[in-house]
Amino acid sequence: MSIQFKTIRELREMLDKKAISSEELTNETHKLAENLKDLNCFVTMNKDASIEKSKIIDQADKADSVLSGIPLAQKDLFCTEGLRTTCSSKILSNFIPPYTATAVKKLESAGSITIGKTNMDEFAMGSSNETSYFGNVHNPWKKGYVPGGSSGGSAAAVAAGIVPAATGTDTGGSIRQPAAHCGITGIKPTYGRVSRWGMIAFASSLDQAGPLARSAEDCAILLNEMSGHDSKDTTSLDIECTDLLDTINQPIKGLKIGIVKEFDLGDLDSEVQNRFEDSKKLYETLGAEFIEISLPNISASVPTYYSIAPAECSSNLSRFDGVRFGHRAENTEDLNDLYIKSRSEGFGDEVKRRILIGTYALSAGYYDAYYKKAQQVRRLIKNDFESAFKSVDLMMTPTSPGTAFAFGSKGAQNPIELYLEDLFTISSNLAGLPAISIPHGKVNSLPAGLQLIGNFLREDQILNAAHIFQKNSEFHLDKPSMEEF
Amino acid sequence: MDQETVRTICYLARLQIDEDKAQKIENDLETIIEMIGGLQAFNTENIQPLYSPLEKTAFMHEDIENSDNQKEKFLQNAAVSNEDYFLVPRVVE
Repeated sequence: MSIQFKTIRELREMLDKKAISSEELTNETHKLAENLKDLNCFVTMNKDASIEKSKIIDQADKADSVLSGIPLAQKDLFCTEGLRTTCSSKILSNFIPPYTATAVKKLESAGSITIGKTNMDEFAMGSSNETSYFGNVHNPWKKGYVPGGSSGGSAAAVAAGIVPAATGTDTGGSIRQPAAHCGITGIKPTYGRVSRWGMIAFASSLDQAGPLARSAEDCAILLNEMSGHDSKDTTSLDIECTDLLDTINQPIKGLKIGIVKEFDLGDLDSEVQNRFEDSKKLYETLGAEFIEISLPNISASVPTYYSIAPAECSSNLSRFDGVRFGHRAENTEDLNDLYIKSRSEGFGDEVKRRILIGTYALSAGYYDAYYKKAQQVRRLIKNDFESAFKSVDLMMTPTSPGTAFAFGSKGAQNPIELYLEDLFTISSNLAGLPAISIPHGKVNSLPAGLQLIGNFLREDQILNAAHIFQKNSEFHLDKPSMEEF
Repeated sequence: MDQETVRTICYLARLQIDEDKAQKIENDLETIIEMIGGLQAFNTENIQPLYSPLEKTAFMHEDIENSDNQKEKFLQNAAVSNEDYFLVPRVVE
């Protein structure tokens, strides 16, 4: 019995009916991953430990959690005790963490089985998964095309039907954009909902972990487990997390959806515009109401992000010095030389570029002009969202200006070309808001994503709106043929 | 951005750029800094910086001793160490 492309709900039913055991499911998942290894979506497999855990799960009479025995993939940015964690970088290519990230631990405690660690842009810096030390990940819909990034391996593993869901992280769109390019669903939660402890930090005030899955409902299942206060993360919100499945089926009649007037979609491919208009119509049929809203400072999102994120990255990545963990250069003259050579050999070009930008933005004489200025503009952007949310429940945009593109076709000459991939996603990271991407049809035979941005801690509303959309459409059921792999 | 500035930033970041990539990096930095420079057009007079989306005091936990200090495990990831310490090239003659 094939397990490929099954959702969590479907696998749960198979396990409960004893149509398959957890051990069989785990073995089948590894077989699928092996057969589809040309996708290059995994960096490290967790074969023995996952099969061992599945046997223990099979011994229980009844599953005590919906995730019990369900195979998942983890982005290789989450520390996993005893299992290599590389961040897809040479500098961490031999790193075995002594502990497991809280978000992963919560999923594993609920009985899920970690199949392996997924490929990604190096240190999550990229929008195409082309900066990984371990090579490009292919988009399951078209070989030689990017899956998006930075959670490209996770998105490809789910889209190819190897696992029903995977974890990702999103600093400027790194869950939503690859979800869009791979035709699956992915949610970036409110900043502070999911613990960042054990996540290898890129930009600490923007990073947030979340799930990628085949449906909004499956995303809700994972997010329910991942959420919650963690005393190990000082930015973790101490709040009561309600069950996101309780409200997911509510009718959306009267839901007020904002259309951002400053996002001029006229510049985009006409098919991207058509998909957006079609989705608007579907929501109108379902009883939603559209209201034009204004985010006057939204055009500052990309420059604000590319000042703040590199500044935080340059600070966070200063810990990689070749002394305590990670790659250490040989034949060094002194301690300073050891730092310089270890870092220069260990980091790839995009990571170096961002560290240098951040170092510049934080250096004496430029701090006020770049870093402080960006944080001030960030407040303007957050204020704009607060005003706009007084008149709407959520906002709707395309997830990405286009669809997946061929390897090497963007950003080689000018890095900003690739940075603009995140045009629609970056602002919710700056403001700390939750946002989801759902598939809403094809543009030139490749999947396109629709983004719903929610108000602070209103994951319930965007998951509800996404689920109702999916109950009334079939875009999320579309599967790649996989003939090329 | 001139070569001297790039060299200074590289040193501050403890990074070395390959000769053949120096010009490309310099051009890229110039392009990105110019893009970020666009922020100057936004009026931020009397606007407080927003350093985190959560404007709350960092959560404090009680200072209780625990057994998370796993010296052997932490030392295992170091390229060079002895029983107690990470080892580096000699810094004091």
